[in-house]
Amino acid sequence: MTSLRTLRVNGHDYTLAVDAGATLLEVLRDKLGLTGTKKGCNVGDCGVCTVLVDGEPMNSCLLLAAESAGRSITTIEGLSRNGKLTPLQEAFIHEGAIQCGYCTPGMILAGTALLRENPAPQVEEIKEALAGNLCRCTGYAGIVRAVSRCENYRGDGTCGDRTAHDERDGQGNGRAPYRDPGGKPFAAVGVSMPRVDAADKATGRALYTADIALPNMLHGKILGSPIAHGRVRRIDVSRAAALPGVVDVITGADVPDTQYGVSPARYDEHVLAKDKVRHVGDEVAAVVAVDERTAERAIACIQVDYEELPVVLDAYQAVQEGAPLLHDRYPRNINTHVEQSFGEIEAGFAASHYVREEEFTGNTIYQSPLEPHAAIAYWEHDGTLVLYTSTQVPHYVQYMMAHVFHMPLGKIRVIRPAVGGGFGGKAETTPLDLCAAILSRRTGRPVKMVYSREEMFHHGRGRHRQHMRFKLGVDREGRIQAFKSEIHLDGGAYSSFGVATAYYAGSVIPTLYHIPNYRYDGYRVMTNKPACGAMRGHGVPQPRFAFECLLSMIADDLGIDPIEIRRRNAMAPHTRTVNDMDIGSCEFRATLEAVCEKSGWDGKYGKLPRGKGIGVGCGGFVSGAGYCIYRGQVQLSHEKGKEPFQKRSIFPHANAVAKVSEDGMAVVLMIGAAEIGQGSDTVLTQMCAEALGIPPARIRMRSEDSDISPLDLGAYSSRVTLMAGHAVARAGYAVVEKMRPFAAALLQCDEADVAARDARMWDQRSGRSVPWEEAARKYFNANGPLVGTGCYKPPDGLGGDFKGGTVGTSPAYSFGSAVCEVAVDLETGKVRIERFTDYHDCGTPINPMAVHGQVEGAIVMGASETIFEDVQFDEQGRILNPNLHGYLMMTIKDAPDIFSGLVESYEERGPFGAKEIGEGSTLPVLGAVAHAIANATGVWIKDLPITPEKILRALKSREPQRGPEAPAAALART
Amino acid sequence: MHVPEVEMHACVTLEDASALLTRYAPRARVLAGGTDLLVDLKTGRANTQHLVSISRIGSLRGVWATAEGLRIGALTSITRLHHSNLVRERCAPLRDATGQMAAPQIRNMATVGGNLACAVPCADLPPILTVLGAEVVAWSPRGERRLPLPQFFLGPRRTTMESDEILTAVIVPPMPAGFGAAYARFALREGNAIAVAAAAAGLRLDGEGRIADARLTLGAVAPVPQTVELAREVLVGHRPDEPLFEKAAAAAELAARPISDVRGSAEFRRRLVGVLTRRALDTALRRAREATS
Ligand SMILES: Cc1cc2nc3c(=O)[nH]c(=O)nc-3n(C[C@H](O)[C@H](O)[C@H](O)COP(=O)(O)OP(=O)(O)OC[C@H]3O[C@@H](n4cnc5c(N)ncnc54)[C@H](O)[C@@H]3O)c2cc1C
Ligand code: FES
Ligand code: FES
Repeated sequence: MTSLRTLRVNGHDYTLAVDAGATLLEVLRDKLGLTGTKKGCNVGDCGVCTVLVDGEPMNSCLLLAAESAGRSITTIEGLSRNGKLTPLQEAFIHEGAIQCGYCTPGMILAGTALLRENPAPQVEEIKEALAGNLCRCTGYAGIVRAVSRCENYRGDGTCGDRTAHDERDGQGNGRAPYRDPGGKPFAAVGVSMPRVDAADKATGRALYTADIALPNMLHGKILGSPIAHGRVRRIDVSRAAALPGVVDVITGADVPDTQYGVSPARYDEHVLAKDKVRHVGDEVAAVVAVDERTAERAIACIQVDYEELPVVLDAYQAVQEGAPLLHDRYPRNINTHVEQSFGEIEAGFAASHYVREEEFTGNTIYQSPLEPHAAIAYWEHDGTLVLYTSTQVPHYVQYMMAHVFHMPLGKIRVIRPAVGGGFGGKAETTPLDLCAAILSRRTGRPVKMVYSREEMFHHGRGRHRQHMRFKLGVDREGRIQAFKSEIHLDGGAYSSFGVATAYYAGSVIPTLYHIPNYRYDGYRVMTNKPACGAMRGHGVPQPRFAFECLLSMIADDLGIDPIEIRRRNAMAPHTRTVNDMDIGSCEFRATLEAVCEKSGWDGKYGKLPRGKGIGVGCGGFVSGAGYCIYRGQVQLSHEKGKEPFQKRSIFPHANAVAKVSEDGMAVVLMIGAAEIGQGSDTVLTQMCAEALGIPPARIRMRSEDSDISPLDLGAYSSRVTLMAGHAVARAGYAVVEKMRPFAAALLQCDEADVAARDARMWDQRSGRSVPWEEAARKYFNANGPLVGTGCYKPPDGLGGDFKGGTVGTSPAYSFGSAVCEVAVDLETGKVRIERFTDYHDCGTPINPMAVHGQVEGAIVMGASETIFEDVQFDEQGRILNPNLHGYLMMTIKDAPDIFSGLVESYEERGPFGAKEIGEGSTLPVLGAVAHAIANATGVWIKDLPITPEKILRALKSREPQRGPEAPAAALART
Repeated sequence: MHVPEVEMHACVTLEDASALLTRYAPRARVLAGGTDLLVDLKTGRANTQHLVSISRIGSLRGVWATAEGLRIGALTSITRLHHSNLVRERCAPLRDATGQMAAPQIRNMATVGGNLACAVPCADLPPILTVLGAEVVAWSPRGERRLPLPQFFLGPRRTTMESDEILTAVIVPPMPAGFGAAYARFALREGNAIAVAAAAAGLRLDGEGRIADARLTLGAVAPVPQTVELAREVLVGHRPDEPLFEKAAAAAELAARPISDVRGSAEFRRRLVGVLTRRALDTALRRAREATS
């Protein structure tokens, strides 16, 4: 039923035909084009749809449009007046409260409502007011800062006091500039400038894929299997196809036979099931219709007849003889077996003074970015496929689309609009990308497809649940002698990144401590659950958690302080590890000293009352994978011969073009690096500006379109700062080189004496200078377009000559230590994570504020996965909590206070000395939380997540037995 | 994930609303704040073709002091209730629940009537309202009925209201002298999480400091708010102390009929019930003593 309603939105009246069942969210986005109001869960759990209704924040996904008629509605677009931002919007921009920006409009509206009632709120009041707004990126720290410091902003682009968070920034404490090893200060690098995309995100202007509507566009939906394992016998789509508004329906018969995936040796997914379904949600059919609602109704009308097969959900059971087999090609469901041995493992244990063995179990973690995956596809008349997609790896999507559709990569244009967080969950081609392309080709119209929150969980690609059997031997002083690791990784139904995951789970462990003898056996196992993939810290966080726990247990056993045992084993700079990882700069020890001092460790460890605990955890990560995911050159995979592996990069992993405007006043920086919220557009702008010698404000970033920007492999393995950073810096230097003769002519000096700095070209000898743009114009007058290009290849020969020796290789490694403080309610088991103290060695922080933002986000995400998060399944393989009220992530009220600090470090292989922070920042967290809880309770919980229930059970098993009849007995007793 | 095809009826009088409910029964539902019903409609848990919106019936919104006690209009939002001065002065224990439930956005939309009428076992208002002796006012053209809360809930998502009845208000009687009450809940996370277990306790002290009357009602651990009769027997006539409260907690654990789900096992919930009972009793006692002195 549709009726006319008048809605008052941002001060204007709109009279619209509104469906009785249409939510305010749908009407704002689809009818009024106010896409600053986001959809994240659709059921009140996430707050990204927040609007003000008569001044009060409400979830527009739960408010029917018809019900909101006659009330005054304010969306994010209604806050700024005539382009002038509000003080709170400015505070968000300058205080680092924005990363992917998907939560930002809702946060700002909720914050605005609070500040109207209470202009000077206490931190607790801020947390209360924002408790309904989830953020997956920032760890809420920047958000709390922004709201509490809002009064310093005047809404005129200036800020009264901007000196607050400097103590954290290592070298020069943020007051003095960062310098290169020669002592020359950097100008644009090492500076906490606001993100280049922050204002768009604070005003709701930033467009995410689902915000885009193309003319004549259709909407698609995918039907997922209701059973976890079965053969598809028959599909009847007739009822769906006959539904008014349905344009097309496809099944497995309509999609290419080519399988796709991530690891070239293990492409094992079909766009839609050809014969079998292997997990609940496995894609079976797809529908395209005039709107999403119709498409949704249509998929419900498709009838599928399945032959059900037995289901296997547990990794240990899956490898047993006779267990249900998911794929014929993986006997005993073993997708990957890694066997690596370095040194003399048994001799190492024999020489150990003390050996401890423990078993640990991880949890199934889902990235849960707040922006659901989305794709829009259309085909140009010349046969070019255009794909808008919410991805962190535009190039690999292009490569995979080419592979599935047997078409040249050059005929595929991938556009990556703003991305609302990825964390690895958007690091591969999705069924949305593929189905939208197929349906668009068949219908000749643009097709848009967006996952619901539940579909995201079924698509999966989250963290592997790992079953870890660890054995660690140390000498009398606690120095590691030998370490043996056996891991079963529960991989779900398809390979995805799993091969790499299985190798990473072993290879990055020896980068942190000296381990002379090491053995790793990894089994990546198929089970009837959504495929697991690469999540922040890829493969390493759970083994790192287990290792850190075991090391702390041993420290306690031997009476050595847990920080001291780490100091004794800490990696030294310029070391080749036992598994041939090439460590360059390493200030791990400095991070340990710093957290120890800053947290007041010595006064706390072992001295806290029961229920209070402190713990330490450490970790580090690669700064970009040493090798590309596929072999050979950039070319359609079917046309390549069998590629022998070469220990060098065939093509540059990052490529940039810097194009100077004809008047010399602007530079357009083009690189396909994926900005997904982590801040890559900003740090790349800074590094290019440093090389060009101009302020970052003169640079405009174009990273979203493969037609415009050259290839970059994307946002994974924490590679962008280092690799894309080199590319953009080199592009900048190339421009300066071209300008050099023209500047020398203007300055009448030697070319060799010319330097670019502060938007001027200098004769370093005489100290005279001319405007940068003048030299650029002179170049253009003579030669036409002033363009510089730059690229980056990782060093040749990385890694050892054993199987899997390439995984975990990197030009550089990060290091970090974290101390966690908790309070545990010993009666209910509830954990309150109170404080985190973290120090990192990330090399030169290109943007310290962005670095702290990554750390704060990683701490909250990591702490959340340690104590809350777990995708749970029933016996039939159905997810019990595919939503954000069952799958709990930390809210602002759960987030700890965080101190993030940096130690001085300079990486020779990194651009301007930089390494990484995005993933390494996750690694210390899990172990630190687990240790702090053990310290508070006296019990180690070795399976994640560490829930109140597990804590109580562990505490109880140490008490005298209290059986089920206990309450009655207690009653009788008294 | 969309609200299915529905018809919307925006009513301005109770008569209209009730007539529509009768006309379209059983496929009609009252729509108040919508925070429960819309989720059910989107996830396919509710199957309704007619939404009878009562949000324009202004007389259902507000908190009034009457001779019988506090009258809370069914459409009063949780936020308004929480910030109502009348509630603060006369019915403060209610704020233990209103301050902890859901998130600000939800509390701005969610209504008191909806929280009761949805009859969801983990709803936060029913246990404490039960302990406070509240009654529900159900209106139909046949007249008004008063239902004490224990007679209101039948089971999960089932109440004793007729299909054409509308919950118009909740009446909370004045708290007697020497009375204190409290609500304690356990949720897995601090913000926007529903209760895994909850306990509401009320105690009245006599002049000598003995317990003259006691009430204990549990939430989220039984199909309906579970009043623990045994606890009253255990407590009344005694001087409050730790062992006594331990006994009451044990009684509560016995009375609980929890289920296991993603939030926790039945066993875990039962343990929580004991802890929460003690905590609610402790706070109720403190408040009762404050009310006496
Ligand atoms: C994210 C989220 C978190 C939540 N957290 C909590 C929580 O922590 N604690 C908690 O208790 N609840 C919670 N809820 C549930 C819900 O918000 C509350 O139960 C709320 O009070 C329901 O009120 P409403 O007005 O929105 O009800 P509606 O959704 O409008 O209605 C709910 C049901 O009651 C019926 N109904 C409503 N009003 C009347 C009336 N006056 N007469 C007759 N029938 C009526 C409707 O027909 C419907 O069946 C949460 C919900 C969401 C979405
Ligand atoms: S989309 Fe409305 S709360 Fe998540
Ligand atoms: S910035 Fe908050 S969700 Fe990404």
